[in-house]
Amino acid sequence: MRPFKLPPQIVRLVILTIGIVGSYVLARHIFMPKSFGQYGHYRGDAITEIAAREPHYGGQKSCNECHSEVLVKIAKFEHKTVSCESCHGPNKAHGDDPDHKDAAKLSSDHCLRCHEFNATRPAFLKQVESKKHYADKGKCAECHIAHQPNEVP
Amino acid sequence: MTNCTSRRNALRTFGGALAGILSFSAAKTAKAVVQKGLVTTSAPKGYDPTKHKWLMGFDIDRCIGCGSCVEACKTENNVPQGASYFRTWIERYIIKKPKPGSGEARGETIVDSPNGGRNGFPPSMVPREEILKSFFVPKLCNLCVDSPCVQACPVGATFDSPDGVVLVDPKYCVGCGFCIQACPYGCRFMNPETKTADKCTLCYHRITRGLQPACVEVCPTEARIFGDLKNCAPEDPIMQFIAKNKLQTLKPHLGTGPRVSYANMDKEVR
Repeated sequence: MRPFKLPPQIVRLVILTIGIVGSYVLARHIFMPKSFGQYGHYRGDAITEIAAREPHYGGQKSCNECHSEVLVKIAKFEHKTVSCESCHGPNKAHGDDPDHKDAAKLSSDHCLRCHEFNATRPAFLKQVESKKHYADKGKCAECHIAHQPNEVP
Repeated sequence: MTNCTSRRNALRTFGGALAGILSFSAAKTAKAVVQKGLVTTSAPKGYDPTKHKWLMGFDIDRCIGCGSCVEACKTENNVPQGASYFRTWIERYIIKKPKPGSGEARGETIVDSPNGGRNGFPPSMVPREEILKSFFVPKLCNLCVDSPCVQACPVGATFDSPDGVVLVDPKYCVGCGFCIQACPYGCRFMNPETKTADKCTLCYHRITRGLQPACVEVCPTEARIFGDLKNCAPEDPIMQFIAKNKLQTLKPHLGTGPRVSYANMDKEVR
């Protein structure tokens, strides 16, 4: 009885299959980043990379470290929900280095951004038609104090 | 004869071993090169995405359409200037009064968003006495549970992170734009500088550092409410917002499972 021998075409097929699967495994090993599949079907490191960007806005807490007296004052008035950077602009650079000062100069345009009359605006918001309210448009601060909007100087 | 065979065998073995070593070292070098391009080191330390679940909510009655959020978002995230690139924007809805005697409950609805509401809104074209009601609707990525954009991405660049934010891996994104078409809320755009899909990340670089997203930070009326559902007390703004309001989501019939919640929303809003 002759010993069983695989036909050559089957042997070739087996070698080819091993070759294809092997090159797939090798390619996967080379190209797939280590963190792929850490949380799901994506690169886990992408999360930390997206988080690595530097913020521009420092947040109310960082303002409170030095300017707490302003925040205490403002908390008694209507503007208590308005954060510092809402008017003064992004200021993380100033928070990190107090000598760095490039806060935007505030003008009446800034007040009117919220307080100019618009029919869509909700009724709780105090609105004015700036042209009728005060002919000399551009000088809100003559009568109003931004940090204490209820008081008249 | 035996000599010849053994030499051939020896050569064959030696050659095989050499080829093996060469291909192994080549694979190692290639892997090192590929990994180097994909791995960065600077990131906030100690942040575990599995221990948070972020949520954004809007109170439509509080939005005054000042556009501070749009402006802040552009600054914070280096969103390209231009009227078609927004991660967040504001829409103005104006619902007209029905024609007298028409028997209808409401008239035509007009929606506009000049420059995304970034510079505020000009007085409406509709005369005041014709307006039945009008309101502003701030919009951003709806943080879907079953995001169509994630399903559409052919390269696995868009994903739902464990903390509930849909993010784009800019190194994997090939810029095909399928996700932009897939998003039923129009929340994505093609960034002309990076040539990749871009969208709201809930200011991921800020929330991982314990800050609020830029739009929430600057919103003067607290129309935007943000919080972490996994680490919050009942008195936190987000829990108060959920407890005190009747909430809706945008286009719930699409089955995308949007998580961003709107309070006091009219049925016209889509």
